[in-house]
Amino acid sequence: MNQLNSAFTLFLSLLVEAIPFLLLGVLFSSLLLVFVNERKLIAVMPKNPILGALVGSLAGCLFPVCECGNVPVARRLLMQGAPTSVAIGFLLAAPTINPIVFFSTRTAFRDQPEVILFRFAISLAIAAFISLVFSVQRDLRPLLQPSVVWMMPISRTEQSLAATSSPLLQSGTFLLGVTGQPQRLDATQITFDSPSQKPLADKLVLFLENMVQELRELGAILVLGSAIAATIQVFVPREIILDLGQGPATSILAMMLLATIVSICSTVDSFFALSFASTFTTGSLLAFLVFGPMIDLKGLGLMMSIFKPRAMIYLFGLAALLTFLTTLVINLHVS
Amino acid sequence: MSASSFFQNRERNRRHRNRRSPFQQWLEVLAIGSWGGLFLKYWLTGKLYLLIHPNYFGLTVVGGIGLIVVALLRLLYLFRGQSASVVGGAQHLNLFPPLISSLLLLVTAIAGLMVEPRAFASPMAAQRGLGESSALTRTRPQAFRSQTVPEDRSLIDWVRTLNVYPEPDAYTGQKVKVQGFVTYPSVSSGLGDRYLGITRFVITCCAADVYPVSLPVKLTQNRAAYPLDRWFEVEGRMITETLGGKRQLVIEAKSLKSIPEPKNPYDY
Repeated sequence: MNQLNSAFTLFLSLLVEAIPFLLLGVLFSSLLLVFVNERKLIAVMPKNPILGALVGSLAGCLFPVCECGNVPVARRLLMQGAPTSVAIGFLLAAPTINPIVFFSTRTAFRDQPEVILFRFAISLAIAAFISLVFSVQRDLRPLLQPSVVWMMPISRTEQSLAATSSPLLQSGTFLLGVTGQPQRLDATQITFDSPSQKPLADKLVLFLENMVQELRELGAILVLGSAIAATIQVFVPREIILDLGQGPATSILAMMLLATIVSICSTVDSFFALSFASTFTTGSLLAFLVFGPMIDLKGLGLMMSIFKPRAMIYLFGLAALLTFLTTLVINLHVS
Repeated sequence: MSASSFFQNRERNRRHRNRRSPFQQWLEVLAIGSWGGLFLKYWLTGKLYLLIHPNYFGLTVVGGIGLIVVALLRLLYLFRGQSASVVGGAQHLNLFPPLISSLLLLVTAIAGLMVEPRAFASPMAAQRGLGESSALTRTRPQAFRSQTVPEDRSLIDWVRTLNVYPEPDAYTGQKVKVQGFVTYPSVSSGLGDRYLGITRFVITCCAADVYPVSLPVKLTQNRAAYPLDRWFEVEGRMITETLGGKRQLVIEAKSLKSIPEPKNPYDY
């Protein structure tokens, strides 16, 4: 009974901390949906995958969200047709590379500036690398949940449809544009039915409705994720994880596992890491600070609202391997 | 099917998927509002102290108010019969059907309103490692006051002081007055039944990261009079003893006064 009570308290504590950030993420997502013209948004996004990865990874400076708030925003970016590299860069880097996290890390590790520097450099590098890898896949749709694909701009499907039907003898209303290519009127009108062009009153209704629906859906997933994280924390003694090892490699694995299970919010995780600073290697602390914001039990469910399981495995595997390798180099050669 | 009717069908389907029954729309507003209410209730009743470090209270309070505002505004539109499904565009996911996710949120919020969160006790302390090492994990004390009168030091002050200068003899004879709950040291620590641990949890951010700090207390009688998890104020003086083959600082208790569990059981 006591264990159950502890698990319940822990569960509530995770939610009390995470839901305000989810609210912030949903707010940004709804603003993007309703007030940002998706065509303009896509027009300003860099087409180059390397640039896109950097822009996405650094966008967290504009949208300070932690790992609960980044999911609705990244999903919205994909739905609005932003390049893959931008959306995935944002998903992975925004929880770390933003002013709030910088401030809290600086407060916690004031005496170890190398930890602050490495945390941001490694997170940025890993996020950019993974988003580059994903942008090799030209059409991301097979990796995404059907409901996300459903909302993505139809342009590509439209092109493939046009290619399969005869170029001659098409019915419908056409507009003879200056480009010389006749433009199909009825299809394009539906495709670009962007909410950003609607009157303000409609926008407000849509804005609210979207916030409520995203809060309901992602909130429920967050509740489940937090319940799993709390249960594991209460029923698996922490000593088991920490006893995994103190060596240069084993300490990193232990801290990555701990980061996944504890599911602590990225805005405050540096204070938690600080309590291990005297007993764990610098590399393993960095592994905690870099890997935790990207992947944790509480957030896995949220990410499943974007990706199919196959893509989740790629994301998880790449992030884990890259974190392990970079922090191992730090353990062996830097500190 | 021609391309244009394909897109029209698709658009129609999208709107159809988006349409939820009025009952479901009310339910989701209720679910979101109840979480907002729960956050504010924890804040007003002081239970938030059990869940999160006071530095982050603002986050929870603003979050709770935000949730209530969203729910109220949506309620206003529901009363007016306005729904964005008419406007189109909002989509939604199928990891859970809307009804299930609303119910899940609502049921957990109601559980939160009915079941009071409780401060962690001795089993959690044992689980989180009530050893010597756990008290030593923090590198630097956040505040170190060497001028402090010894009996003004809290339990965590003592543990931090001891971290900075771990020679027990340096403190022998100093007066002690600390508060905490009772834990029984494990058999392997070499402490008999005339010893107990006076313990407190330290919180850095949320309850997921609490860790226990503890000092052994030497009693004049059997510890059975001091049940596990009960809160006491221990007064006495510091002595050095060799316990389990290790020299360590022990509180020699002069008196143990039973106190109620503090509103804020954690230390910082």
